[in-house]
Amino acid sequence: MSGDSLPIAFPLSRFASDACEVTDLYRELRKPLLRYLVCLGLSTDEAQDTVQDAFLSLHRHLASGGSNENIRSWVFRVAHNQARNRQTSYHRRFGEPLEAEIDVMLDRTTPERLVLEKEKFRQLEKAIRQLTESERGCLLLRAEGLRYREISDVLGISTSTVGDTVSRAIKKLAEKCNV
Amino acid sequence: MCDVSDKLVAWLDHELPDEEMSDVERHVRDCIECRKQLTSCQQASGTFDAYCHAVLASKTRRRLQRWAPVASTAVATALAAALFLVLPRPRVQPVISPPSVRTGSPPVVVGTAPPAVKAVHRRHAIQRVQSQSANGPMTEPAIEIAVSAESIFPPGAVPEGVIFTVDVSIAADGSAQQIRLRPQLGGFQRRVTEP
Repeated sequence: MSGDSLPIAFPLSRFASDACEVTDLYRELRKPLLRYLVCLGLSTDEAQDTVQDAFLSLHRHLASGGSNENIRSWVFRVAHNQARNRQTSYHRRFGEPLEAEIDVMLDRTTPERLVLEKEKFRQLEKAIRQLTESERGCLLLRAEGLRYREISDVLGISTSTVGDTVSRAIKKLAEKCNV
Repeated sequence: MCDVSDKLVAWLDHELPDEEMSDVERHVRDCIECRKQLTSCQQASGTFDAYCHAVLASKTRRRLQRWAPVASTAVATALAAALFLVLPRPRVQPVISPPSVRTGSPPVVVGTAPPAVKAVHRRHAIQRVQSQSANGPMTEPAIEIAVSAESIFPPGAVPEGVIFTVDVSIAADGSAQQIRLRPQLGGFQRRVTEP
């Protein structure tokens, strides 16, 4: 994937520490954000644009003296909202069958293992399609390493609801995948 | 099903308060049912994470594949352009006419690469030759220079014994008006005429 550099020119003097922080955050969160957005159903191009927009907003936010608490969930929330505006078929495409290229991506050596993995994914896709939107959202954010508190921040629901939702969703998947 | 079951995923995620964490841990050690469920949840969670990675990788790959033909065409074009620039250009061949009966003075034999031959490779001279040779037979040359094949062609490119005669006719202003390069079986002729 191209565009590993942050497309923002920072004025060096005033926001030097902000710039450093944003650059570090960008390095840390770019891939998880991209993955989250692509799983939400955005194309790679849309996802890249959204990530850049989100970091541009973050820069403005910090430059105008905004708080840098919970900054991870802040970026995810901005990206999440932008994705919602951008993508009308939001959430629609996640869980659709992946193409045959999957065997190249799965670095499994033995063919038996490969067949097993593919079968697992196929079952999982079926299960994912039966999840509710909030269940999918919670699981996707959790997969990117966000804490329940952060997930509640992004999705605008309470932390206890996140806990219940994650638990319920994982159990649904487990039921259908690990037969 | 025991009530700890609802806390298993939160326990996996380290999202429970400390005392609950140890409670669940203790319970799981004893309860086979919960242990089974825990493994199952762990597996589902792992598969889901792997699937998210696969989705991104798949989309990125497809994007690369879409550009692959364009990229390969660009590479091929660049390669062709580079070859065209690097490789020697095809030489413009001087007009070569079949050997003709000559009545003039015997040719002057030049052993090494003659400067005269190089000079006539200039474009305007050759263009003039081509346009005039189309008009009719060449007038009697003023100068004839015999050039050994080795001095203008790489060794082995021309059969042994072949020499070239360059006929040059001079215009009124002193420039080369007409240049003609004629191959001749020099050695063969000599052998025949000698006895």
